[in-house]
Amino acid sequence: MPSLTRPSRQTDFARFSSSTPIVIDNGSSTFRIGWAGEAEPRVSFRNVVQRPRHRSTGETVSIIGDTDPPLMKFFDCTRSALRSPFDDDVVYQFEYMEYILDYAFDRLGATSEVGHPILMTECECNPSFSRARMAELLFETYGVPSIAFGVDNAFSYKYNQKLGNCGEDGLVVSCEHGTCHVVPFLKGQPVLGACCRTNVGGFHVTDFLRQLLSLKYPYHTASITWEKAEELKKEHCYVALDYMSELHTFKNNKEEAEEKTRYWQLPWVPPPKEELPSEEELARKAALKEKAGQRLREMAAQKRSQKIAGLEEKISSLEELLEQLDEADEDEAAAILGRSGYLSPQEIKSDILKCTQALRKAKGESNGNEDKSDVSGVDKYPLLSVPDETLTPEQLKEKKKQQFLKTTTEGKMRAKQKRAEEEALKEKQEEQRRAENPELYLEELRARYSELSEKFEQRKRQKVGGSHTNGNHSSSGGVGRGERLNAAQKERMRLLTSAAFDRGKGEDTFGARDEDWLVYNKMSKDNDDNGNDDDESELVRIASKLKVPKYRPLTAEDYKISIGIERFRCPEVLFQPGMIGIDQAGIDEMVSISLRRLMEDESVKELLCQSILVTGGSSLFPGMIPRLESGIRQFRPYLAPLKLVRAADPILDAWRGAAAFAASSKFGKQTFTLADYREHGENLFHRYNIVYTL
Amino acid sequence: MEPEVMKAEMVLAPTLPFKKVQTADKYPKGQSRGRQWKHLRYLLQAADASTMPPDQPNYLNIQSPPSIYPPKRYCDITGFEAPYVDPRTKLRYTDPEVFKQIRMLPDEYVQRYLALRNAAVVLR
Repeated sequence: MPSLTRPSRQTDFARFSSSTPIVIDNGSSTFRIGWAGEAEPRVSFRNVVQRPRHRSTGETVSIIGDTDPPLMKFFDCTRSALRSPFDDDVVYQFEYMEYILDYAFDRLGATSEVGHPILMTECECNPSFSRARMAELLFETYGVPSIAFGVDNAFSYKYNQKLGNCGEDGLVVSCEHGTCHVVPFLKGQPVLGACCRTNVGGFHVTDFLRQLLSLKYPYHTASITWEKAEELKKEHCYVALDYMSELHTFKNNKEEAEEKTRYWQLPWVPPPKEELPSEEELARKAALKEKAGQRLREMAAQKRSQKIAGLEEKISSLEELLEQLDEADEDEAAAILGRSGYLSPQEIKSDILKCTQALRKAKGESNGNEDKSDVSGVDKYPLLSVPDETLTPEQLKEKKKQQFLKTTTEGKMRAKQKRAEEEALKEKQEEQRRAENPELYLEELRARYSELSEKFEQRKRQKVGGSHTNGNHSSSGGVGRGERLNAAQKERMRLLTSAAFDRGKGEDTFGARDEDWLVYNKMSKDNDDNGNDDDESELVRIASKLKVPKYRPLTAEDYKISIGIERFRCPEVLFQPGMIGIDQAGIDEMVSISLRRLMEDESVKELLCQSILVTGGSSLFPGMIPRLESGIRQFRPYLAPLKLVRAADPILDAWRGAAAFAASSKFGKQTFTLADYREHGENLFHRYNIVYTL
Repeated sequence: MEPEVMKAEMVLAPTLPFKKVQTADKYPKGQSRGRQWKHLRYLLQAADASTMPPDQPNYLNIQSPPSIYPPKRYCDITGFEAPYVDPRTKLRYTDPEVFKQIRMLPDEYVQRYLALRNAAVVLR
């Protein structure tokens, strides 16, 4: 980024006599001010104002032009955006215009009243309210004696005419910051009735580039500022001679596209690399884990043995108590009961039973699990082995239940076994395939994985897709109509409303049949999950086989922004404003419209087309002139002579032309003074047009 | 004010010697100025009918008409030629790969792509 230099204050203001005009080129991108007759403007800066609040003093200050980033930390810039007094190319915010003029005159060195006539540039057919307010501002606040307004493109043309680039009759095609103009010239005067303006300019090109890049690289939105996009545009953008063929090149021909693509590397620091633990480290860690595991196991065993011992003790004491109770008489029994805390011998017995069970369980764990399954198998179906005749009706019911349970569990086990066998078979097949052709297998696996993951993500998106709203939608405090967008949610809503809707005829018979309740199944939000299980499990299996890492670590690649097709897509906006939705003609078509509005015969048109001047800051794209030429040739008659010339300095020529005009002797007659303004008011500006021929 | 800021002279001084009326007096603090600035459209409409003779060129007259060439359709995501339109999001796309990407875009990005083309749905 070029270092920012703020224009320094000029010191020779007093040197100029009060008849020397001050020349101002008030453009939507830059403001240039200087003295008439000189070759360069003294002061030029970007035509923007911002009014941040100073952090320590709290007052709101105005800062004009580009700012120095290190110094901006003293200001609170959250609520102060860069504001411009322009809208397209008309000044309509005169407060900001005043700040800018303040700054400009201050830098020019003015210490007392600005007592010099002023020549100011404006756009073609500037509305009279804008002119009036500008005149008012200059007269009332700055004490300017007289003012003249002129069109900047006309000054540029006249300057180049003097240099010999274009003739007395010609055409100006100018691409500025906010707009593009085409103005025909006849006998040295611009024909304002035939000029043409499209509201796209360099600003729109830059903005388009910025938005495209920030949509393509959403992580780097903060780095892609408007100023950075402007820099990229100035360095890398070009105009394609034939847009469609260039597009085809980029689409089909990879090498050429690669050559034309530029890369912008954002600063990126790789995270510190974690060293893989060495062998000893691993061994040491494993040993530690073993020890810890062992310690835990020992503790667990200890606890268990303690518990077993405790339980045994308790059982033995309770049995003793029982014996005592049995042997003792009634009174003593009551006394013993009271002491031990139990209310009756039954309680003691039940307690003993519980303790023995717990003991058995504890012992069972330490012995192993084989006993358990046998025990459960034997316990569960005791009645099955007993023949029917000996059982009571209740016991028969019990037996039926147990039979049912047995068959179901057996069925489940069989199904599980079968599935396990199938899986084992599949595994063997896969292993075979892998052994035969490892690469192909890997390919297939990867393809399947990507397919499944895509399906998965899509389904996920569909589920939550309905609930994504951007900031503009008003949240209606719940599920609004716009959110129920996907099919499942629509279906659900339909069911809910149809179920709730009371049809009126006959009684409500919902629920009489079992199938009715299945509606709730359909309505439930979680129903989607049932179908996904197989895919999900397969996805997981394949992921584990491929050893796909969950999150790919960011590399330097992610921080590289590639500008390939945008290089010529963005300036194309000047030729096809429809690309950004502005329904107007592009600059090559504007030439034909302007010529048509001129309503002159063919010879004049031919004369005009032989001296076309291309000026304005946005005409500096490489390839602009050949493209314009081919565009204009498309609607001119076959083999009509065409000559396009770029202005000597597309950026500064407007100011230079204005300065040359102001320095001439006839300038004094073209201005109007405060008295004139007071006399005629705004009507003065309806007829006010200066004569450019000197 | 910090010395660097003073040295850089970036801040506009509150009073300037060459001005007859200072800004601070013209725009007193505390007055809400935002609402006074109407959009250019309204100003133009207001100025249009009453004062201007119709045959003279004025700011609105010289505007370009819409283009006579039929608009070319370009893909919103890649920029290539786009013969197809996604019926759900109304985005244009060149081939099925791009279509897959479009279907996976969250709603916010869809609206931003449409806004590039001035085709976003604005609820007001």
